[in-house]
Amino acid sequence: MKQKTPTGLKVIRGVSIAITLTLILILGTVFYSAYQDWNAVKSELSGPSPQATGRAVMQGASEVVSINITVPNKGLYALNVTVSCTPQANIVCSPAQVNVPAGEQGMLRFRMTIVDVAQYASSSNHRIDGTVAIQMVPFASLGIGVDLGGFVHQGGQ
Amino acid sequence: MFGQKISTRRRILKASWVLMLNLLLWIIVPYYAGMFLSKWIPSSPITIPAFVYEFGIVLTILDVAAALTQGMAVSVPFISGAALVSALYLWMITNGGNLAVSAQGTSIVLGFQLLVYLLIVPSLWAAVKAPLSYLVHRRNMQPEVPSNPAPA
Repeated sequence: MKQKTPTGLKVIRGVSIAITLTLILILGTVFYSAYQDWNAVKSELSGPSPQATGRAVMQGASEVVSINITVPNKGLYALNVTVSCTPQANIVCSPAQVNVPAGEQGMLRFRMTIVDVAQYASSSNHRIDGTVAIQMVPFASLGIGVDLGGFVHQGGQ
Repeated sequence: MFGQKISTRRRILKASWVLMLNLLLWIIVPYYAGMFLSKWIPSSPITIPAFVYEFGIVLTILDVAAALTQGMAVSVPFISGAALVSALYLWMITNGGNLAVSAQGTSIVLGFQLLVYLLIVPSLWAAVKAPLSYLVHRRNMQPEVPSNPAPA
């Protein structure tokens, strides 16, 4: 004769199944989104017409560096991308931020001003510490420390 | 499941499997992962912390004890203990969902606190589930007391 499962055990089993399914669903969508976003960014940057452009313009003694990046979001969660730089003497920068809903693309416009280019060029340290922060709302975030000084050398001198 | 008749042979067999699996998962894999990182990526700042092996040993002991006492009331603290230790392990190995790596002038910071909370939920639930299941089983085993006993 088959033994009847008590209601309490059925409830416990139900909760276990619900937790497992929720976790699989969330992890699956997060990893799928991360994979899609990574592929989209990779193809945008390495494609025949790269969607990231940098421009340096001299304005008297100072130099204005503009970086425009197209941020595609092919994932299932919204992306929040921020580019900022660490405050330094002789460098003024305005952090750029863009929120890209799922399935859309946004434009990030970052501007940085080297107040005195001659002073910057004569200094031994040309490094400008910047941070690119990518947040997959609300689950994960990735912050990468980058040297923005490379953009100055490319177009400024 | 509590109250099931399980032979000693079966308990020992299951405990052996659990022992092998745990040794592989918590001791051998981290050891070789550490060796791989230091050998193939010498500049990698990632190292396997010592607590990984300590947690591995504790988890193995608890899991083997739970397998040996399967179906008995005494298995409940072992199951709950192992679940709590694995939750703590997950929290510590991921630094609470904040990982930072810095090498050759480049730094990478990874934040995934919410994912860590979600990953810990099954372990915490397992820690609660074992005593709950045992209580439900015990309640079910008790003979029903009639609300209006017949007069003698």
